[in-house]
Amino acid sequence: MFEFLFKYPWAMYRKGTFVFLSGWPLWLLALLTAAAAGFLLWLFLRRREQWRGPIRASILAGFQCLVFAVLLLMLWQPALSVATLRSQQNVVAVVLDASRSMALADDGRSRFDIARAALDGGLLGELRKKYPIRLYTAGAALQRVDQLEGLQPAESATRLGDTLKSAAGEASTLPIGAIVLISDGADNDGGLDQQTIAALRAARLPVHTIGVGRETPVSDIEIAGVQTPARSLPGTRLNAFVTIRQHGFAGGVATLSVRDGDKIVASRQIRLDGDGKQSIESISFLSGEKGARAFKFAVEPLEAESNRANNAVTRLVHVEDRRPRILYVEGEPRWEMKFIRRAVEEDPNIELVSMLRTTQNKIYRQGIGDPAELEQGFPATVDELFAYEALIIGAVEAAWFSGPQQALIREFADRRGGGVLFLGGRAALSEGGWQATPVAEMLPVELPARKSTFHREPAKAELTGPGMDSLITRLDDDLAQNAARWKALPALADYQETGAPKPGALVLAQFNTGTGRRFPLLSTQNYGRGRVALLATGGTWKWQMLQDSKDTTHERFWQQLLRWLASDTRGRVTALTSSTVISDAAKVQLRADIRDNNYLPLADASAEARLIGPGGLADSVALLPDPQTPGQYSAEFQASEPGSYLAEIVARRGEQEIARDVTTFLREDGVAENFRTEQNRELLERLAAQTGGRYYPIGGASDLIDEIDFSEAGLSVRETHDLWDVPFAFLLLALLKGAEWLLRRRWGAV
Amino acid sequence: MRYRSLLAAVILLVILAGVLLGQRRIRQVFREDENEMLVLPSDAAEKTEFVWARLRYPSLRASGMWAMRGSWTVDYPKADRTFLQGLRRLTRMHAKAMEQVVDLVSDDIYNYPFVYVVEPGHWDLPEAQAKKLREYIDRGGFLMTDDFHGTFEWSVFTDSLNRGFPDRTVEDLADDDPIFHVLYDLSDRFQVPGIVNYPFDKTHEYDGFEARWRAIRDDRGRIVMAICHNMDLGDAWEWADHPQYPEKYASLAYRVAINNIIYAMTH
Repeated sequence: MFEFLFKYPWAMYRKGTFVFLSGWPLWLLALLTAAAAGFLLWLFLRRREQWRGPIRASILAGFQCLVFAVLLLMLWQPALSVATLRSQQNVVAVVLDASRSMALADDGRSRFDIARAALDGGLLGELRKKYPIRLYTAGAALQRVDQLEGLQPAESATRLGDTLKSAAGEASTLPIGAIVLISDGADNDGGLDQQTIAALRAARLPVHTIGVGRETPVSDIEIAGVQTPARSLPGTRLNAFVTIRQHGFAGGVATLSVRDGDKIVASRQIRLDGDGKQSIESISFLSGEKGARAFKFAVEPLEAESNRANNAVTRLVHVEDRRPRILYVEGEPRWEMKFIRRAVEEDPNIELVSMLRTTQNKIYRQGIGDPAELEQGFPATVDELFAYEALIIGAVEAAWFSGPQQALIREFADRRGGGVLFLGGRAALSEGGWQATPVAEMLPVELPARKSTFHREPAKAELTGPGMDSLITRLDDDLAQNAARWKALPALADYQETGAPKPGALVLAQFNTGTGRRFPLLSTQNYGRGRVALLATGGTWKWQMLQDSKDTTHERFWQQLLRWLASDTRGRVTALTSSTVISDAAKVQLRADIRDNNYLPLADASAEARLIGPGGLADSVALLPDPQTPGQYSAEFQASEPGSYLAEIVARRGEQEIARDVTTFLREDGVAENFRTEQNRELLERLAAQTGGRYYPIGGASDLIDEIDFSEAGLSVRETHDLWDVPFAFLLLALLKGAEWLLRRRWGAV
Repeated sequence: MRYRSLLAAVILLVILAGVLLGQRRIRQVFREDENEMLVLPSDAAEKTEFVWARLRYPSLRASGMWAMRGSWTVDYPKADRTFLQGLRRLTRMHAKAMEQVVDLVSDDIYNYPFVYVVEPGHWDLPEAQAKKLREYIDRGGFLMTDDFHGTFEWSVFTDSLNRGFPDRTVEDLADDDPIFHVLYDLSDRFQVPGIVNYPFDKTHEYDGFEARWRAIRDDRGRIVMAICHNMDLGDAWEWADHPQYPEKYASLAYRVAINNIIYAMTH
């Protein structure tokens, strides 16, 4: 019908450009139209009594004006300019997804069979009438095939980006006019990157996509992603955020578990969200002993689940063999110090070095590595202070530190990336004049500019919303039990008032003075590359003395707080990978952040990654500096075999080694195609739209035959098609005149 | 025979008279003010970080005045308050000017992680109190003992101690132990006598000839009980401002106790 009225198919209008062939200026067209409209209006209004009023006169004038405008438009000779492939001179690349997800049977037949039937059932034949066809299969890479017969969907992964990039590469030596991609869109490489789209657009290659497979699964639970720290200290409690999608089990209950090998290290019941919705569930677990540990996150399969292979994913955590050193400076003898030290002594992975001002001029040092450590008092140089991973500042007045030392404390978090914890106390925070120092900027709360903020009165700690989810305040793995334990805690020995939390800060716990007033007790925030926490009390020791000796609340709280403070503090070299687990792929990006003595980005270093893979596989690769970001170095590495890899990145400046760091990653095969098995229509539509192609469902794939002619790729010619004689224009003229005549009759003017 | 009995009785009377005269002489020199307990320090109500807690305990076979007051009250409260003046002046510690009496019956003791026990050579802890003392120590409390002398009082002390600490052994501390160096270096220590030894031509009582610096440790090797045996630090604090009490003993007594407290607050 469209083609009958408008002479050409809709695809031509969509692809073509509207032009006027008369060569006359468009402003003249507009001027004549306006002049005609004005004249006709004047003419009809002058004789408005004849038309029984000005409104009817104006309507009739409007109809005549439209007729005049259509005629003028036709005189200007409108036309469509469109690039058209030369028949039989261009090749059409037909790419059939042959990954394992295409073997899934949605309605009794596999997706692959449905696609092959559509091709054999006429699509290929129709295309061949116009163009030579090249057949390819897509999986981990693009592969040319001669015929469809005998093909099986056995590819372990789908990398649409890589395969389309290869197809675009072929277009440089072959007049490829268009790509027809038949796929379920279940890509395992994170979708399409900008580079691939740019390559296709540069080659002006339209990708027509034909979607196959269900767009929503019938009954399935899938782990769509897991976020967990890539590194940890031994025995640290980690939080994982598991993204779960489900269809068919809305409102149901399932079990989410974490396994380290065969051992279940955490488990909890979850309530499944609505069909098709993504929900994020958190689960905490202990990182275990040092080494590269593969944790398997799984939702126990439910009965009637169509795909059970997508219920579990693996994440690698590099449990580091190191012992961060924390410097604790205390201004006066306090019980809090004793009990913090005792809590840390129970933790084999944290080392606490403390300095206590026992008298006005004497400092008692504990945990020092050698007699010279801290002999001169609080560190005054970068070398001394940045040797620690975290810092605790107790009840010490700000004036005890020199100006440069105060600046150094701020730099310790900002530049060094260390953690700084401030405690409440008789000479702490506002009582110690900290609000008037550069250090105040890094605090997560505002400090009042007044004294008398410290009170030796009991105060009850209360968990806040963010505190419910935080690992620092997790006294029990069960969230309800955790909240109950906080409620049952003995009162703190003292508290200190602070101001409001700053934007971006998290208040994990607050204290209730019993008078209805509440102030932040434990608040945290990121500052620069580091972290800052404020605990507005010096009285958590009551949690130890007023509870049973076997109760470990106090120890656990402090160990978790100090691990949070110190465990993310990196050295001068930080090794990273693009992903800790690569599924059915070989490519992994190794990255390094390299810093100088002052922890400023180092642009003139050299870096090399030494890798050890499965079966003793050894390799090395040089990392190149990123010219845009000083201090950042990267390299691509091909993990040829599945298994665990360990990469040690060694940074040098000239001949001198700066530092080294280790990271790990895991290549696992036969996994990727189990996930996102429903048709990813959104990706296929986006691919087609961004390259000038069109998306077709498999049932409407025959429409492709009309569309494919119009392409600027390959050998094409730009053609101009007249539009002045389209039947719709004449029909429109007749309709306008007919309508005017009917109105005149109705109004008794004929 | 009658003459011999008479002679013995006379000798006994002479000895008794000598002792009484001696005690009277000591009390004439070291006079106790009976009203001192009624006078509180002006800042006695101040809320502080450190509170000096004195343990009240049941005494063994007490008689006379100590049966009424209890052995735990020896030197109380002047020793405590005089010591606390020194503690506040010599350190940065925010310490209360007045002592706090605690016992092993109520749970209040858990609010005071440092407890001083005088004359534990006379204590007699029932099973429940001995167990509570153990719980107090296991939670993180620290105990300092003082003013008991000789083998008999040591055996009385350990009888009660063993009811709560059957798995712990008492050890003699080495000079290089951190407790002798946290603030003052106390490698060179000596016996601190009580005023009973006035005029201090000897410093021991009974057969406690040598000062013993002993301790009980926890599983991590931290001292949790500092046992000062064969010395009387309490008298040294109490009479530190008395011209007849030698300064060197008072000075050491202060240093020992301050070191013990700093150690307790850091270990």
